[in-house]
Amino acid sequence: MNIILRELRASIKSMVIWCGVFTILIFMYMSEFSAYANNEEMLAVLDGMPEAMLEAFQMNSFNLTTLTGFYGILFTYFILMLSIHAILKGNSIISKEERDRTVEFTLVLPIKRSKVVIGKLIAVIINCIIIDVFLYGIILFSIQSYLPEENFMEFLLLLFTSTFIMQMLFLSLGIMFGCALKQYKRSGYLGISIILISYVLSIVSGLSEKLEFLKYITPFKFFDTAVIKNEMALDWKYILISFTIIVICLTIGLITYKKRDLYI
Amino acid sequence: MKIIETTNLTKFYGKNKGIEDVSLSINKGEIFGFIGPNGAGKSTTIRLLLSLIYPTSGQATIFGKDCFKYGHEIRNDIGYLPSEVFYYDKMRVKELLKYSASFYKGDHSKRIKELADIMELDLSRKIDELSYGNKKKVGIVQGLLHQPKLIMLDEPTSGLDPLMQQKFFNLILEENKKGATVFFSSHILGEVQKLCNRVAIIREGHIVKIEDIKTLRNDNYKKIAIRTNNHNQKVFKIDGVSNIEQIDGEISFFFKGDINTLLSLITKNKVNDVIIEEPTLEEIFMHYYK
Repeated sequence: MNIILRELRASIKSMVIWCGVFTILIFMYMSEFSAYANNEEMLAVLDGMPEAMLEAFQMNSFNLTTLTGFYGILFTYFILMLSIHAILKGNSIISKEERDRTVEFTLVLPIKRSKVVIGKLIAVIINCIIIDVFLYGIILFSIQSYLPEENFMEFLLLLFTSTFIMQMLFLSLGIMFGCALKQYKRSGYLGISIILISYVLSIVSGLSEKLEFLKYITPFKFFDTAVIKNEMALDWKYILISFTIIVICLTIGLITYKKRDLYI
Repeated sequence: MKIIETTNLTKFYGKNKGIEDVSLSINKGEIFGFIGPNGAGKSTTIRLLLSLIYPTSGQATIFGKDCFKYGHEIRNDIGYLPSEVFYYDKMRVKELLKYSASFYKGDHSKRIKELADIMELDLSRKIDELSYGNKKKVGIVQGLLHQPKLIMLDEPTSGLDPLMQQKFFNLILEENKKGATVFFSSHILGEVQKLCNRVAIIREGHIVKIEDIKTLRNDNYKKIAIRTNNHNQKVFKIDGVSNIEQIDGEISFFFKGDINTLLSLITKNKVNDVIIEEPTLEEIFMHYYK
């Protein structure tokens, strides 16, 4: 419990920054949206763009002039940002003890290593939830002056659910790297590389039907916002895959951290 | 009951040897010195005992329990002061000590205050504003606040001025009188001699000798340097003299035995200057423990 509280207190600053960044982004995008909203000319411009480009940026499936369409596209970026946040945070919350050399203090306290990891994990989960709830609130606030489409609220909740699953997936990957790798510098690079590679793969997979198999490899295709919009549901298959990955990563992390020499 | 017992404890970092076949046995109430030059394996041994790292082979128990299986239970009763102290920078001293105390049963706020007063530590300051010596003081308070049964010190005096060192030694002696066992690692022979009952000497990962401090004191070598223009080194070749060397007008050697014999020899021969000093630990190792 004391570990959770300490970690939360230590991450207040970064949480405030993340919330601030999202506030600014939402208001910037909403002022942009005010120009798109129900704008017929805009639709015509979009129709004139090359097919492949629209496909790559998901604009084929969404109508930018509606709230659903606008947020459907925005969320592909929000999910990317929040995934980066989750993997870095998961990695650093473990490895910072070795980086800052505080490990000789924390792990000499009478507590099992696994409990330290679990405490830190819970702290990051709370951290993610706070940012998500804040983002949700700010979005609700920003759309006040518009009349949302019929299923917009339902769609938004589905987006947030898939975002949260993605955050947990990348968080558990980050925790695993932080726990398993003795070299804290490498684990950070590895986390970022994995995110960027999977993101690029998710874009590439939309370009050609031959590359469609990639959707099983990259988590960014697990919960495609376009699919969510059409089905108005998350695919159970991918929820299950995500859950399995999370459990596997956390188990590997806990086991390796328990057994390895700490880097002092 | 043995407080610490290790049998053939061995740690390799890849191909590099940390320690090899270290067997120690420390009784309740002892102040046990662990002495050796830098890089001899002192910290490795302590980190193994605290299960921060795991051994390549061999066993270690503290309070009769396996260090690597029951580490978290054992650590309830261990106070540890690392050679370099690192804490969460952004916290205040008071917050950090409270945080640390929250992991041990009972209320320790009174003891924190007491210790901070003795060590003259300002509790309201931020950790990252503290000097090296002051961080060390935080380490001392943090290591002792839960009245541990076993106190492990790794080069504890570095960074403390002589006055603070004295206060710190008194604190340790007091805890020892109350029944705490102390494991004291250092590369300074003098401070170990002052405090400890028994000493283990470690060099290149091996225990060279485990000795009673009294025996070590009788083994007291002196390092002598004599400046003279007239004499040949042969004059000083008496019993107890070893490693004699002459460079120009300076004759240097080690002496073990009755100091009066040597002093009368020096007065008989006219010399310009005499230096008598404690040999450094390195010198003891180089000449006598090879």
